Amino acid sequence: MDTLLNSPFIADLVILFKPALYNIYFLVAAVPLGFVFAVVLALAKNSQSKLIALPARTYIYAFRGSPLFIQFFMFYSISLALNPSVWKPLGLDWLMLSPLFIGPFVLMLNTAAYSAEIFSGALQSVPKGEIEAARATGMSKKQEFRTAIWPNMLRLAWPAYSNEVVFLFHSTTLVYFTMPVINQQQDLMNKAGELFEKDYNLFLHFSAAALYFLVISIVIFYICNLIYKRLTRHLNVDVKLKIKPNYTR
Amino acid sequence: MLEMLPTWLIDWLGPDGMANLAYLTNGKHLAWYASVRYTLIAAVCGAGLAVIFGLLGAGAKLSKFAPLRWLGDIYTTMVRGVPDVLFLLFFPLAFEQGIEYIMAKMYCSPDAVAAAGGVACKEAQWFLTTTEYLVMACFSLGIVYGAFAANVIYGALKAVPKGQLEAAQAFGFNEREVFWRFQVRQMWVYALPGLSNVWLLLLKATSLLSLLQITDIVAWADRLGAPNYLPMAGLVHPDWRWKYYLVLFIFYILLTFISERFFGFLQARASRGMARAN
Repeated sequence: MDTLLNSPFIADLVILFKPALYNIYFLVAAVPLGFVFAVVLALAKNSQSKLIALPARTYIYAFRGSPLFIQFFMFYSISLALNPSVWKPLGLDWLMLSPLFIGPFVLMLNTAAYSAEIFSGALQSVPKGEIEAARATGMSKKQEFRTAIWPNMLRLAWPAYSNEVVFLFHSTTLVYFTMPVINQQQDLMNKAGELFEKDYNLFLHFSAAALYFLVISIVIFYICNLIYKRLTRHLNVDVKLKIKPNYTR
Repeated sequence: MLEMLPTWLIDWLGPDGMANLAYLTNGKHLAWYASVRYTLIAAVCGAGLAVIFGLLGAGAKLSKFAPLRWLGDIYTTMVRGVPDVLFLLFFPLAFEQGIEYIMAKMYCSPDAVAAAGGVACKEAQWFLTTTEYLVMACFSLGIVYGAFAANVIYGALKAVPKGQLEAAQAFGFNEREVFWRFQVRQMWVYALPGLSNVWLLLLKATSLLSLLQITDIVAWADRLGAPNYLPMAGLVHPDWRWKYYLVLFIFYILLTFISERFFGFLQARASRGMARAN
């Protein structure tokens, strides 16, 4: 037991525990708002009115068509440029320049675009019969959305969406590649890089960080699967835990 | 250089326009424009290697020999479970350390290694330049996105109609010929949409080259945009980084747009003669 605890790999896992929490924080802070924004964007994209559909389309195309790395740099530098004239006088500079705010903010904007594409695809494949049935029973637009469109959209989009969440988790590594570390608030890759620079033991530190990513990815898949089970509980299909991920984003 | 412009253009631009043009064509900016080559080389070579690794991975996944099949599955799952940034940093460093280890075994006496504190002695140390980093960036991109491509190609190989392969077998082609001449040849049409997705991911990943000490477009944008003070002129410009990053943002969107057009054209060409709905 003692030798196990003293092994450098276990020591690394202990050191990397706190940095892993920062990655999880970025994910947890970005996902809920990103989800809401994505649903709004997907509905706007599928809207009849060109005036609403076009901005949504442009936004999704721009954020899916450019690297997240550049988006981080861009929003951080915009915030830096606004600092002397806007944030400082308002006393908001502690918030607006903090990676703990800008990180989740940009991740949210990014994941909203990717998820909106998934949701809008799902919206288009909602079974027509169910919408017609809702109309035939005299439901209002709001009721029709709540009972026919929304549950179907969520169920159809969920497998792809859980894949997107894992991609987003992997993207959280980019936060501290683009923004300065404040008060030892390091994430996994940053801490692993720092450990590497001390003793150049590449395999040890990077595989410890990789193990964290793998395990947390599997946990995310597991949680998403539980939700998927709940979403499809009326359908009598056998949902198995799918660790085998999708490869497209 | 700018004096060579025709006079009507100089008149039309005016002194302000000329000053802007001079600023945008100074040496540092020309170096910035030239550094686009690193991005494009990494994207094209990385994509080529990704297809090769993808074919190998898909071949391994389809193999009848179980350990090879496991190897293929481990390769594709490993890469997908861990961020690409980690691999992008890992492979070049691992390669560098491996070379140094071999060189230390060849050239260093044990005393010299002990004197250097357990690392390679002076003769065995290897300093990487941009070229070497670029080659290794291509390989890491190839390995990482090869796993993505392997999955696409694996699906596409299975999508080739069985009848085609059985017909080939009936004509007396052996197993290898059936695979290479029929299954792989016909696979591309089914793989193309997926491969275009992988290409778009890879293209976006080329923005990470600056993490590998390559002075690419991102690193130049950071340098050019930083507040610029000249001893003689005072402040040339304040913090303009956001403008430079905005340009890169639009540049990548344009690259995506062009790629999508290109793959659409390719898809239309590849599926000539195929049955289509509507």
